[in-house]
Amino acid sequence: MNKESPPEELLQAIAQGDVTALSELYDRYAQRVYGLIAHILPARQKAEEVLEEVFVHLWTEGASLHREGGSVLAWLVVTARAAAVERLRGRPGNLHKVSPLVPKAGSENGNVAGARKTMGAGAKSPGGKSEANKTRPAEAAGSATTRLRLTWLPLPKEITLIDDRMVLLHKAIRQLPPSQRQALDLAVFCGRSEAEIATEMGEPLGKAQRSLRAAVTFIKHRRRAVCGTWAANI
Amino acid sequence: MWNMGCQYLDELHELWLLGALSEQSSRDLPEHLERGCPHCLARVREAAEMVYLLGLASKPVRPHPRVKTAVLNKISHKTAPHG
Repeated sequence: MNKESPPEELLQAIAQGDVTALSELYDRYAQRVYGLIAHILPARQKAEEVLEEVFVHLWTEGASLHREGGSVLAWLVVTARAAAVERLRGRPGNLHKVSPLVPKAGSENGNVAGARKTMGAGAKSPGGKSEANKTRPAEAAGSATTRLRLTWLPLPKEITLIDDRMVLLHKAIRQLPPSQRQALDLAVFCGRSEAEIATEMGEPLGKAQRSLRAAVTFIKHRRRAVCGTWAANI
Repeated sequence: MWNMGCQYLDELHELWLLGALSEQSSRDLPEHLERGCPHCLARVREAAEMVYLLGLASKPVRPHPRVKTAVLNKISHKTAPHG
């Protein structure tokens, strides 16, 4: 294992109990993950605790993630966001409970899920399922822990150009009108529901909903450019 | 499987994954996905990518070295769930 090892190779090593592989992934991604956590949780101690929880969770969930073939960084980002938002909202807890990722291999219907089942070619099934492998019941609105299955995570090959295109994403966000940007910020970095956003912005629910949905639509339409598959000039 | 429900849900996938939807909409979408709608499964994957992208919009920050030490100490006492 060397510093140039692809993340997927490191993930496979983690699944086999290689501590140095986790150490390497930490060195590679901790600054990005901590940047997100610190954005959500300005209190340094809490932010550090969440960062620690996320990487410890990667250690225990590495085998499932490797089996499904999802991007390690994508897993880290969505897990860190959920954990930090839960902490912000005063609901710290076991990451098995707050993780938005519910690996449920073999239980989904539909073409997309079926296609992803072949992505972890060569990966062996784990000997047993963790708590996170169980489907959790629907959760209340406003929760940042909405279920996001491992099979829905972007594949590494789908996001290879993202690093180079982040500047375009920032540009798209800056183009949002202030009210839309504020609504998006409250949803992404504070885990607020539409109703809570309306309250915080002092606006009627319908107006806040329109602001947030317009912001999401705007960014969504530019997503392909950020991912390098669309040549639109944003 | 595409129907009016899909049209209604089409703008909600990102908000659902962010946890921003009302309680009713938060119930509708997963129930629909459980029925295996290929369109919405594709959309929710697209939405997952966007949630990831938005999370990456934060500026990277270097954590204190003690965090890595704590992580490695903790996992050394855990058994990895080997694949």
